Amino acid sequence: MIGRMLSVELLKIRRKLLWMLAALGPVGVIGLQAVNYGLRYDYLMKLYGDSPWEGLLRQVGSLMLPALFIGLALVASMSAGIEHQAGAWKQLLALPVTRLQVFGGKVMLSLLLLLSSCTLLLLLTLGMGLLLGFDPQVPWAEIVRQSYLPYLAALPFIALQSWLSIVMANQALPLTVGTLGLVLSMFSVLMPAWMPWGWPDRAVRSADALQAAGSGLALGVLVLLIGYAHFARKDVS
Amino acid sequence: MARLLASEWIKLRRSIIWLLLPASPLLAFVACWRSSLDSGGAQAWREVLAVGAMVHGYLFLPLLVGIFAALLCRFEHASGGWKQLLALPVRPAAVYGAKLAAIMALAAILQLLMCAAIAGAGLLRGLDAPVPWGMIGMSAFGGWLACLPLAALQLLASTAFQSFAAPLAVNVVFTLPNMLVANSRDFAPWYPWVQPLLAMVPQDTYGFGAFNVSLETLLAVIGGSFLVFLCSGLLYFVRRAV
Repeated sequence: MIGRMLSVELLKIRRKLLWMLAALGPVGVIGLQAVNYGLRYDYLMKLYGDSPWEGLLRQVGSLMLPALFIGLALVASMSAGIEHQAGAWKQLLALPVTRLQVFGGKVMLSLLLLLSSCTLLLLLTLGMGLLLGFDPQVPWAEIVRQSYLPYLAALPFIALQSWLSIVMANQALPLTVGTLGLVLSMFSVLMPAWMPWGWPDRAVRSADALQAAGSGLALGVLVLLIGYAHFARKDVS
Repeated sequence: MARLLASEWIKLRRSIIWLLLPASPLLAFVACWRSSLDSGGAQAWREVLAVGAMVHGYLFLPLLVGIFAALLCRFEHASGGWKQLLALPVRPAAVYGAKLAAIMALAAILQLLMCAAIAGAGLLRGLDAPVPWGMIGMSAFGGWLACLPLAALQLLASTAFQSFAAPLAVNVVFTLPNMLVANSRDFAPWYPWVQPLLAMVPQDTYGFGAFNVSLETLLAVIGGSFLVFLCSGLLYFVRRAV
């Protein structure tokens, strides 16, 4: 059933900007890095010395995290916005589907779009490294880790933004919360480790990356459950 | 025009915006209050202001301008408001101008809150020099002025797209490169989206008068991009089918 909900959601976003946005994130990140490497190739290569792949991953990671933070807010808002704009929540809920399926369908859509963004980023990073003629010894483990662990660590925020975007008709609030999250994440090095804004960053570079991703996954599921409990009891107008 | 502005005010009066405005000043307040300082006296104020400007101007201010624009157009996109508004005996250009003025008014309130946040944080830390209102005020005013082109472009995007998030996506696409551009001595003075930050961070060297950006940047980049975005927005708005 949830598969059918997802295919309905995918049908709704056909030929919408949403796909473009999901592709634009990674393309923008790599495009900026291409400019960055184009302008100061010698400096960057000297900076990272004998581990150019690690340097590239570091540079990509520093742009990927903010893009992920604001991108997840935009994706969640746009996918819920389809229903808000058409005033279709009532109609959708009048169909013989449960609220769990409706909520699940929307969340799965955001998760799927962001997952494809992460995958595209992986491919583009790989392509850029090979084009720059880095060591043919590709550090697969690191590239895969950097591409997907921040996604897991950001799960609480995907859940929160989906929840807010679904239950609020006015998207100004969810998007301001998303912007706040972006700004907070940029200063997350100053925060204690238990605060989730720093988790995606820790999932990129620190030794406890797996722990950060695991905590993200756990908290994300918890926020989703709270969000669903709210949505299930909410009067839809 | 005054009536159009009054109508924008009525639409905003009980909206969610009043909840959102303090978010960035509050965050900047905490950052200014808790950050560690290297210097004392008048120089300490400069550092506090720089911290606040970084937190606020880097991404928050440019992105908030986009949220304001989208919010102001949301009333019209919902339930055919554009038709209703433009059926009134008003010129479309005046409607557009009133919207732009409303965005900048919200940005002005935001900058005033920022002044209060920075001054409050400095006083709370017990900095011994008196509050440098001139420096803080000029920083806030410069940041506000640098938002003009962004507001014009975001108004264009917000009138063009029905959805709330789409114009913000445009904004994000242009604002995220700030993270690279802000560090570049060659490109930063020419990139409109990083100007709010540059205009807010106090500079020692180059800068025109009391502004933190140079005269060339002020006129060519901020003024020029504002004119381009405003004219294209107006042309689009006046000619499009409602």
